[in-house]
Amino acid sequence: MNRGVAIELDSFRLASCAEHVPCLICREGNIPGAETCRNCYAPMILAHQALAHKTVPIMLAALGPSGVGKTVFLGMLLDMLSRQSTGLQLSACGGFSVTLQQNTLAALGRREFPSKTPNEPDRWNWVHCQVHRPKHRRPVDLVLPDIAGESLFGEVDRPRSYQVIHWLLSRCDGVFILIDGTKLQNGSLDEDYFTMKLLSHLSELKFNPKSPWLTRPVALIISKADQCESCFEDPAGFARRHAPGLSRICQQRFPKHFYFAAGVAGACVTRKVQGGGQQSVPLRIEPRGIIEPFAWLIENLRF
Amino acid sequence: MRSESRLASSCWVAGAASGAGSAWWKLPGRFGGAIWSRYAARFFPKRSAAEPILDPAGESDEAVGSEAGGAVRSLVDEMLARRRYALLLRPQLIGNLTDEQLARTREALADGMCLVPAGEVALSSAIEADEDDPQPGRRGPLRVEAYYLDRNPVTNAEFRHFVVRGGYEQMAIWDQEIWPAVLDFVDQTGQPGPRFWHNGRCASGEDNHPVVGVCWYEAAAYARWVGKRLTTDGEWVKAGSWPVAITGRPLLARRYPWGDAMDRGRANLWGSGPGKTVGVDQFPGGVSVGGVQQLIGNVWEWTDDDFTLDAEARDSDDTTSIHMKSLRGGAFDTYLDSQATCHFQSGDLALARKHNVGFRAAIGLGDLALSDGSCEPEASEELEPSIAETES
Repeated sequence: MNRGVAIELDSFRLASCAEHVPCLICREGNIPGAETCRNCYAPMILAHQALAHKTVPIMLAALGPSGVGKTVFLGMLLDMLSRQSTGLQLSACGGFSVTLQQNTLAALGRREFPSKTPNEPDRWNWVHCQVHRPKHRRPVDLVLPDIAGESLFGEVDRPRSYQVIHWLLSRCDGVFILIDGTKLQNGSLDEDYFTMKLLSHLSELKFNPKSPWLTRPVALIISKADQCESCFEDPAGFARRHAPGLSRICQQRFPKHFYFAAGVAGACVTRKVQGGGQQSVPLRIEPRGIIEPFAWLIENLRF
Repeated sequence: MRSESRLASSCWVAGAASGAGSAWWKLPGRFGGAIWSRYAARFFPKRSAAEPILDPAGESDEAVGSEAGGAVRSLVDEMLARRRYALLLRPQLIGNLTDEQLARTREALADGMCLVPAGEVALSSAIEADEDDPQPGRRGPLRVEAYYLDRNPVTNAEFRHFVVRGGYEQMAIWDQEIWPAVLDFVDQTGQPGPRFWHNGRCASGEDNHPVVGVCWYEAAAYARWVGKRLTTDGEWVKAGSWPVAITGRPLLARRYPWGDAMDRGRANLWGSGPGKTVGVDQFPGGVSVGGVQQLIGNVWEWTDDDFTLDAEARDSDDTTSIHMKSLRGGAFDTYLDSQATCHFQSGDLALARKHNVGFRAAIGLGDLALSDGSCEPEASEELEPSIAETES
């Protein structure tokens, strides 16, 4: 006959292991002290802050191939929204949320574009902030990662190879899809293919049957529009002319989509760098069409 | 600079000497007169008899040829109304003006332009030189001669005079290399004029705004039409930074026209204005020491100089920077304070017609005869070969 034996427990250790903190992105339980999620490598600070705010933040993502301008777009957007005194405004939650705009503006001030975003999710810049909307008393929590383009297309080509991207795309409430306007104008088909792949991937994601991807808003942004100015006048027409495949798939599968044109540098030149490559140099910073896609997405989200 | 002002003068003098009249622009060359006439008929609508094309040569014909007061009087009035007072102050013409006309012309000059004294100027500020200077190799002081600079950027209303009086058809005021492209300098409705105009007019209520949507060549042609020229980079920076030379010390130059600290309330920049151009009389707090308004903000301004990124780029075969012209001053959408200083230089393709790029014009002190019948010796030396060439 067995007798129960009382064993002394290190109660503080037990407590810390008993209550798992779910990752904000993949919902996998993590110990409270974890810095990054053990499953997807997203920073756990996002989950802790969401718990503290007692709210589930909305998630947006900027998608597009490497070099399309995602980091510049996001950094500029965050900086503009945190500096402007009317309309949509933004306040960062935690110092880490300012890093993206700080790095972006510092690079642009040196007449450089920010360096390439690393592929590792734990080295991406994640932003957690509150969006203050005019005529709304309560701010909205927002999570916005700066995803590396190569990782994104790694996931698109081999689904589930990047857990964080898989879960992020499944859960996010709306996306900015950036398309390089200069490449479109020069007749490159790559941009059209990249975007078609991305949209096909999104349309096949089946995470929440109540909110399929087809009902979520997609802001299609023709980036670097300062170098192909005609697209400011009619971004949708520009896309139809230069990326017919993209236009068709949007019409067929994403009823909530809208085209925008955006540019940050008023003019650019290329400079030869050591080793034989070329570097694009922004000659002046005059953002155009940066806030409009964000305002449209926020307006079209279901809170 | 000199060559431009000489060209403006020689164009003007050419008509006077040869009596080419209103057909003076049918010049031989790659674009022969007949071809040009055909293109002109296609692209430029016929004008009514009440609105004849009045080109500089035509004006000078009348002015020089007639001693009767009436024609000269009406011509002088018209030129003053069209802000072409700088032409009237040219040494060749000033003798034809009455005292009253001369007084009005000088008054127009004083109203429209500010005198910037001669002296040295550094194209990069001492502050920038201490930091990571994005434009190395451009720090050395330059000597700038005294000149007059437009008090305000050229407005839509002023530029409209140029459009209405056939400025886009007077090929002699355009660089010959750009003649084929002039046909493409049209507005939204296909009329000759700045890119964002409609039917040869700017948007309602924007007469007093700086003209934008003009390329460097259009700016240079307008400047010639009014008897002026574009500024050099050195001249522009000198007007804004107003450097003071103290013996044995670096030049003391201002970072902004109003001082060394950014004050966004003094300039139409991103976040401090309505997000578009404003009238040239707005933001009076941004005035320079010499009285020049809106050097910083509202619109970038074309200068005459080429834009080169840095010393290395100048020496390399970097093809993208070859046809770029320098821009100064920042615009209503300039985001960074560090790019809205007197010393910051940007650039764009000479043919770019951007929504936030305008210009202002200048004229060398030596090109004007500021007292009746006299002129600077240097100016007369410049003009004599032009007259001789024309007569031969």
